[in-house]
Amino acid sequence: MSEFLMYLTNGVVMGVINAISAIGVSLIVGIMKVVNFAHGELYIFAGYFSYHLSVSLGLSPLLAMPLSVFFIFLLGILMERTLIRPTYGDEMYSLIITFVLSIVLQNAALLIFGPYPNKPPNLLSGATNIFGLFHYGNQRLLSFGLSICILLSIFYLIKKTWFGKSVRAISQDRGMASLVGVNHLKINMVSFGLGAALAGTAGVLIAPIFPVTPTGSSAISLTAFVVVVLGGMGSLKGCVIGGLVLGILENMGAAYISTMYRHIFGFIILILVLVFRPWGLFGQKA
Amino acid sequence: MVDNMETKKILIPLLFIILAIFPPFFLSQYWLHVMIISLFYVMMASSWNLIAGYTGQVSFAHAAFSGVGAYVSGMLAVNLGTSPWLGILIGATVAALLGLGLGFLCIRMGGIYLSLTTLGFSEILRIIITNEDQWTRGTMGLQVPGFFVEYSKASYYYLFLIVAILFLILIYWIIHSEMGLSFRAVLNDELAASSSGIDTIRVRISAFTISSAMAGMAGGLYGHYLMLITPDIPSLGQMFLVLAMAVIGGMGSFIGPVVGAFGLEILSEYIRIYGEYHVLIFGLVALAVARFAPEGMVGIIKRRWKKGGFS
Repeated sequence: MSEFLMYLTNGVVMGVINAISAIGVSLIVGIMKVVNFAHGELYIFAGYFSYHLSVSLGLSPLLAMPLSVFFIFLLGILMERTLIRPTYGDEMYSLIITFVLSIVLQNAALLIFGPYPNKPPNLLSGATNIFGLFHYGNQRLLSFGLSICILLSIFYLIKKTWFGKSVRAISQDRGMASLVGVNHLKINMVSFGLGAALAGTAGVLIAPIFPVTPTGSSAISLTAFVVVVLGGMGSLKGCVIGGLVLGILENMGAAYISTMYRHIFGFIILILVLVFRPWGLFGQKA
Repeated sequence: MVDNMETKKILIPLLFIILAIFPPFFLSQYWLHVMIISLFYVMMASSWNLIAGYTGQVSFAHAAFSGVGAYVSGMLAVNLGTSPWLGILIGATVAALLGLGLGFLCIRMGGIYLSLTTLGFSEILRIIITNEDQWTRGTMGLQVPGFFVEYSKASYYYLFLIVAILFLILIYWIIHSEMGLSFRAVLNDELAASSSGIDTIRVRISAFTISSAMAGMAGGLYGHYLMLITPDIPSLGQMFLVLAMAVIGGMGSFIGPVVGAFGLEILSEYIRIYGEYHVLIFGLVALAVARFAPEGMVGIIKRRWKKGGFS
């Protein structure tokens, strides 16, 4: 029983981190109709940045984490300005460009960081006894707590602020939004940066638990894509529920069925969603 | 004038085909191998271009389908002793059926779904092939028989040449047929195409199925030529190479992927010394082309040609 609860907890922790990463994809899809195939690479880069900032440069992990996310935000802005902006309205070219970018970044990561997994230092050590049932690593609990705070701030940002309102206006009707004075180019750029930063956030949160490797990036992108399709494209709530469902299923599946086929569960879910409910749990039926 | 154009259209390809007969007489074994591999990439890039360039659907499973063709044919040959000639046909059929299934599920939901799902399919296929090593020999590679009793590079060269030409004729025929007309109608204006009675979804699914079958067949040929089938065949790295060839050569043009396939394969022989950098270099070039010259090398040359002609 306590074993089962531990796998469940692992699933929930992975689930909220999945949700953050998936919101990054969903935000960009919702606003720009662009799928960022380089999402997983941004996640990996953030993990390596936080490792090198804290281990090689000796910064405190507490400073290294936000700094890495900020670098990924800038990288996202740079990508949007140089490569993505000219493709607006041409779905095919944006798919091709972000796919090529993912290969370029993956190979760049192999050259810069090497093929070995790297793990930034833990902020906390030890474990806490959860309700007298099982012991759970403090670092994981910390990542979980931070993830919840981040999810809440994203919800606040999208639902309550002027930026969030502009974002939602653009996703609903781009032409109308610019008529009422929303600067959609600026919103696009910032949202792309924000989407990238969310990939980076998930990366720095996960890296102390599961070390990152350059070759792991496509699995990370896929997890985020499955969550987005499962939750429904463009739905924030869908990302959270979808992230949790996938996190729990993957951890249970890995524990009780097969570790090697961990990522297959996601693909099976993707196919089932496409067969039975292609618009996703919370998406709008076209 | 029209007659002149028509004869040109037949004469120029004929001239190339006649020229293509000679390489085995003067090329070294090494460069003949490079030519064979280039012909494989011609099949891959041209059939990918059929869906991406002509219907605007970006599939990331093209290399995966070639892997399906290679592994199906290879495992049949190893376990049941099936002839590779029959094997590649079965492999192509399996690839076509998988393509039909994926196409049916995704295409009605739009291009983004097809790209996501085909990427997932590639990744899953890689995981299955590496893990089911009692059948596939995993990363060690599956040793399979070749097509000919007596191994000769020249026979393989002619085999690949014939199949590549057949593929190109089929693709040319498709894009100039009524079906091709509806492909282009779908690409240019989906709404207008569907309101003028073209079943856009059926058109896209058929293009995707045909293109997947071609990838399966090409993969089968490739596997039995190398006589070793590894998970590199269905990898995303291979997918990237095929995509880069079509993009750099010129998507949506008939000849672009052919130029890209020969260009990149020959070039990669020269820059092989830089090892890992060559994927990075191709990636950066592909990005630059997609960004600044979306019609690729063929597009650039055509534009120059026209400008030169008028001045």
